[in-house]
Amino acid sequence: MNLIAQTLADGLVLGGIYALAAVGFSLIFGVLHVINLSHGILVLMGAYLALIFSEALHIDPLLCIPPVMAVLFCVGYAYQRFLIQRAVDRASVNSMLLTFGVALMLQNAMIWVFSPDMKSITPSYAFTSLKLGPVNLDAVRLSALAASLILLSCLAALLRFSPLGRVIRATAQQTMAARLCGVNVRHVYALTFAVSAAFAGAAGIVIGIILPFSPMDEGAWTLNAFVVVVLGGVGSPAGALIGGLLLGLVSTLTAQYIGPAFPNVTMFLLLVLLLLVRPNGLLGNAFAPSR
Amino acid sequence: MKRRDVLSAGLGAIALSAPAIRSVHAQTKTLTIGGSVPLTGAAAETGLNVNNGYITAATYMNDVLGGVEIAGEKYKIELKLFDDASDPARATTLIQRQIDEGTDFFLGSFGSNIVLPTAAITERAKKPMVQTGGGSDAIFTRGYKYVFGMFPRATRQFAAASALFKTLQPTPATYSVIYNNDAFSKTAAEGVKLSCNAAGFKLLDTFELPAKVTDVSSVLASVRANTPDMLLCVVHDQNSLLIARQMVATNTNVKLLFQGLGPQLASYREALGKYSESILCSTYWDETVPYKDKFFGDAKKFAEYYRSKFTRPIAYHVAGAAACIETYVMAMQAAKSLKPDAVRDALAAADFETFYARIKFTPDGDGDPLTLGGMIGQVQKGKLETVFPEAAKSASAIYPAQTWDKKA
Repeated sequence: MNLIAQTLADGLVLGGIYALAAVGFSLIFGVLHVINLSHGILVLMGAYLALIFSEALHIDPLLCIPPVMAVLFCVGYAYQRFLIQRAVDRASVNSMLLTFGVALMLQNAMIWVFSPDMKSITPSYAFTSLKLGPVNLDAVRLSALAASLILLSCLAALLRFSPLGRVIRATAQQTMAARLCGVNVRHVYALTFAVSAAFAGAAGIVIGIILPFSPMDEGAWTLNAFVVVVLGGVGSPAGALIGGLLLGLVSTLTAQYIGPAFPNVTMFLLLVLLLLVRPNGLLGNAFAPSR
Repeated sequence: MKRRDVLSAGLGAIALSAPAIRSVHAQTKTLTIGGSVPLTGAAAETGLNVNNGYITAATYMNDVLGGVEIAGEKYKIELKLFDDASDPARATTLIQRQIDEGTDFFLGSFGSNIVLPTAAITERAKKPMVQTGGGSDAIFTRGYKYVFGMFPRATRQFAAASALFKTLQPTPATYSVIYNNDAFSKTAAEGVKLSCNAAGFKLLDTFELPAKVTDVSSVLASVRANTPDMLLCVVHDQNSLLIARQMVATNTNVKLLFQGLGPQLASYREALGKYSESILCSTYWDETVPYKDKFFGDAKKFAEYYRSKFTRPIAYHVAGAAACIETYVMAMQAAKSLKPDAVRDALAAADFETFYARIKFTPDGDGDPLTLGGMIGQVQKGKLETVFPEAAKSASAIYPAQTWDKKA
């Protein structure tokens, strides 16, 4: 019984982190219809920036979330406006090739700048654990989960209640109508990408405090985001959360009861099944109803 | 010297379509040694160490010694090393191209998954390969005659560790193994089981992890439920750190934690801080080994020269890679020839002392378990001390380890 409770708790914690790592990918896919294959690089940029800020300023890495998000917001805006939009203007498939190419280039740039060596962010509570009844949880993962849930809630609120969120949703649902109403669609696309990049950067910080990282990890975080989005559905924080939690639970339950080598097998089996049964994910496309 | 220099030197060599040996000076010829190294991709961290080791030896022989004398003629060493991006397919293409261009001698990449397919190509072409990056049994059990490794094959690498475990008091009784699902880790885990079972330790559990791990909570829950005296991890650096961090955070205690790769790295010890104390690992070389060397003099002088060229911390892969080039040169001197077959025979008969170790290969080409077998290191007060074998030890092994909360 203890083992089941522990496994479920571990799965939920891991799932929350997967959800935050995927939400930016989901938003870009939902609004811009771009599969951002450089998503993992944005996540890693967040992790490396947090490492630099926390070491330079001697502050808790989670306190680096605002400045890192600000930097990634600017990077994301410029990246979409000056590179991705131009590729999309020629042919939509170009964006996939472009983001793949950028991911490769930036991965190598990171190797030059930071070396291929593994890095880790070690907050003061990195080795502390809490015991909740039979369940043992490490403080760093709990704080990562808390940060993930707070950030996902903030994004949901931004999309639901803010003027920017309304414009993003309107553009995603009816691009032409939004344009006729005077919305600068290109600017909204760039803002959406910027918000997504900022959340990817925040995810990088959360990942950096629980896992060692190196430039070679970018592919894994893009792939995870892709799976989460397919499972949960496109475009909404709720979809990312459902997909992330499902992925986390499947991973830990498989590792515990089938074998630690098999989480990827069940993860992709689930992916294939869902694509056959419910191709839009469990919550569907958040922007689909009015299309 | 930086990676950029090596790559540009390599590109220059290709542009010139250099034959294996070409005259660059009236008295000094060029000895070309080819190969690939992972400067990018998953194996880049250690690949960079291997690459730096190759460069250190070649630069020293060229710049400080003015070249090496083989069969009465002076040769400068030209390295044609290319980034294989940790990709076996890319590595095989690079090696095949170099063979087509006439390169006769090869250095190995890092990682059994790359060394194995590239060794198959050099073997088919009957060109020697000396390498320090592939220890999987598969490399040395296929009847290859032209590939030589600086380590014993993976299943023989754990003999030193199990010999150490037998000397500990109170003697540990049980062990569990964690390994990655890849060529090297799987065979290394087989080696752990062979050595530990032969030494009379009882196996409790084995845990196979995927190559890329994000969470080991479930494995550690099982370890807490069925706790061994010794937890033996033959996983890669990044996974070692993840396992150790999660062990601390979840207060998963064992009397002995052995991690084959990881604790050798300063970054690992810094990340764990005081919690890295008393974790054991394999090591094949450090600056205090007593061997003499006809090129550098000894291990300390090699390390000094390396530090004059690179800021990256020295690691045993650096020394092993440099020893590959020394071994080649000594084999060529013994053979008095640069014909691949003659050099191959001299390598098979090698019994050379270098700053790294006494170089001697088994008939299958892997390192002799006695002369090239591993040492065991243990983190003590933040430094890696050699605790086994007796002849090389710089400190006594600490056992049992303190629990994590006492290390805090």
